[in-house]
Amino acid sequence: MHIDRLERNYLIAVALVLGVFFAALIAGALVFGVRLPTATAFVNPLALADTPFANPGLRDLGDGKYEAVIVAGMWRFQVGTNEFDETGHEIMRVPVNSEVTFTITSRDITHGFMIEFHNANMEIVPGQVARQTITFRRPGEYHVQCHEYCGRDHANMFFTIIVEDAAVRAPA
Amino acid sequence: MQAVSPAPKSEANILTFPRLGMLSSERALIGAHILVALLAISIGLLLGPAQAYRRAPALQWEIPVFSYYYQALTLHGVLNALVFTTFFIVGFSYFVVQRSLQRALASVTVGWIAWVLMFVGTLLAGYAMLTGQANVLYTFYAPMLAHWTFYLGLALVIVGSWVAGGDIFATYLLWRRANPGKAAPLAVFATVANFIMWISASLGVAIEVLTMLLPLSLGIVQTTDPQVSRILFWFFGHPLVYFWLLPAYTSWYTMMPIQFRVPIFSETLARVAFIMIMIVSIPIGVHHLFVDPGVSEVAKVMHSLLTFTVSVPSFLTAFNIAATLERAGRARGSTGLLGWMLKLEWSNPVMVSQILGMMMFIIGGVTGLMNASFTLNVALHNTTWVPGHFHTTLAGGVFMTYMSILYWMLPIMRGRKLFSRPLATAQAYTWFVGMLLFGVSMGRAGLEGASRRTDVGSMQVISEYWAPWLNITAVAGTILLISIVLLFIVVIGTWFFSKGDPEDPAPITTAAPSSAPLWTERWSLWIALIVISNVVMWGPVLFEGLNFVNGFWSVGYPMN
Repeated sequence: MHIDRLERNYLIAVALVLGVFFAALIAGALVFGVRLPTATAFVNPLALADTPFANPGLRDLGDGKYEAVIVAGMWRFQVGTNEFDETGHEIMRVPVNSEVTFTITSRDITHGFMIEFHNANMEIVPGQVARQTITFRRPGEYHVQCHEYCGRDHANMFFTIIVEDAAVRAPA
Repeated sequence: MQAVSPAPKSEANILTFPRLGMLSSERALIGAHILVALLAISIGLLLGPAQAYRRAPALQWEIPVFSYYYQALTLHGVLNALVFTTFFIVGFSYFVVQRSLQRALASVTVGWIAWVLMFVGTLLAGYAMLTGQANVLYTFYAPMLAHWTFYLGLALVIVGSWVAGGDIFATYLLWRRANPGKAAPLAVFATVANFIMWISASLGVAIEVLTMLLPLSLGIVQTTDPQVSRILFWFFGHPLVYFWLLPAYTSWYTMMPIQFRVPIFSETLARVAFIMIMIVSIPIGVHHLFVDPGVSEVAKVMHSLLTFTVSVPSFLTAFNIAATLERAGRARGSTGLLGWMLKLEWSNPVMVSQILGMMMFIIGGVTGLMNASFTLNVALHNTTWVPGHFHTTLAGGVFMTYMSILYWMLPIMRGRKLFSRPLATAQAYTWFVGMLLFGVSMGRAGLEGASRRTDVGSMQVISEYWAPWLNITAVAGTILLISIVLLFIVVIGTWFFSKGDPEDPAPITTAAPSSAPLWTERWSLWIALIVISNVVMWGPVLFEGLNFVNGFWSVGYPMN
């Protein structure tokens, strides 16, 4: 099979570039900790009462680590907090530099979960437990949007995470 | 042992096709496909700008006729990406195979049976969508439920395309029997490769629709598994985009050299590119499931690696086509490093639409590699970046090449001159500018966190970070609306009103160059590789997704 010299050199260059890209991906995952959700557990979406999802909420695991158990359903996230914004959507507060593991499932159809400006992005598929760990380094208010189409009020399925600076927190 | 090649069985099978017209047997069957394709986009395209206006925070206009955003979005996706493409590709493939092999289809009757299946399927799915009983978008993720006619309709479109593929295979095999030891023309090779890939891949969605969604919508079964249905869908979903792309590659590799009267730079590597796409386009679909909970990280990394591999044939194509274009420019007397680019017939709609489409496809390819990078995908998944990306591939490279094909095929089919070359050229330029602006602004909005498939017009909270970029998509939509109107004028004018004879002959070659290697047509080997690679790459994913202990435990939710 005849391959032109220029074309062969071009192919070698393509292979090198792709190799460098892929090495960068592996480094991103292993060195910088950008991880994807992975297969964890099954859960019956019609019988969540028998599971930890019966009581959504933020649990303090100590050492700046938290677990947020959330149930997604048409068209709201059950976050387990008692604080709401002016549109009636939940607000979750976490201290800055906390490491939060989000454990989420759906009670009905497939939803999405995306925290703006963070590497938090998951499909919330009924029957599956979705899990991702995020460290909040910058104080501020972050919009959390359902990004998978889920019917009529999909656009308004959201909640807010407020990352609080330690300095402004009331002393315990 | 030296095989003695028998003389061709019957020279009577060789048909002569008119350069500037169609045989009546071609005209009816191919015309029926092109007609349905054009009717589908006459609704599907117009809904595009309407959605851009709805999604621009500064406007938030209600969509005309289909005021429910998700109904309009479903129609836009299904009509443009599934109905238009499938009918156009089948019609185009019939044309390519008959002309290149100089023989009629193995069976015109079977061709019509396939058309009827696909047409009835389109009517059924259209009924469900137009009556608002299938607001499930064109990915129809379970356990959202549409009316059963939607699923049956889509299944009929797919089964019809399989019948069409069978007719194309039979035509090729009959030709091969009559021409032993000869390589098929490249366009036929590409068409056969495309339908082998398509039939292999669409098995996934056929199983999903026929065993899960259709029975659920009819109430025959009560439960389903959303993760398994997503896995089956994306077994099909990525090769689907290559099914759209390969006819465009066929035009770039086999027609553009004829239109420019230069030989292709390397036919062998063109064949290698088609073989690689046919095999590698399926075992990579997990890159659509990077943030799914039910798929392991290991599978995600493996599919990411193979997705990088499937970019190689597109890199090869970029080189091969650019080298061919450079030859064309130099043959027209250009000198210097880049002077050939100026000599490429920038006022001929057939050439302009195709070349601008290629240029936009480069952006689509690069952004595609970014999507395939799993660490970047966490920032991009389900943001408007994704539709930004595939509007530069499907609505860019692919659609503009299809319009380039239409601008020579429609005149030949109707026996009329193209209605207006300047308007057709203007259509290509406005489309390029509008879609480029749309792609860039959707991409930027996505990086700022705008989510796709979201009715911005009904949102309570709009972010100042992405709002300006979505406002720009409304500008892009306006430019595209102008382009759509130009397209309609040229198509309707050419179909009914234009006077004079067609100007551009069908750019078809009937012989493979002597250099075309025969080993590339060992289809049984390629099919075996398709089977093996998918068992290895998809088998574990499906096994992991299935809940063997508890079975399916999601119920359906009608999306009316």
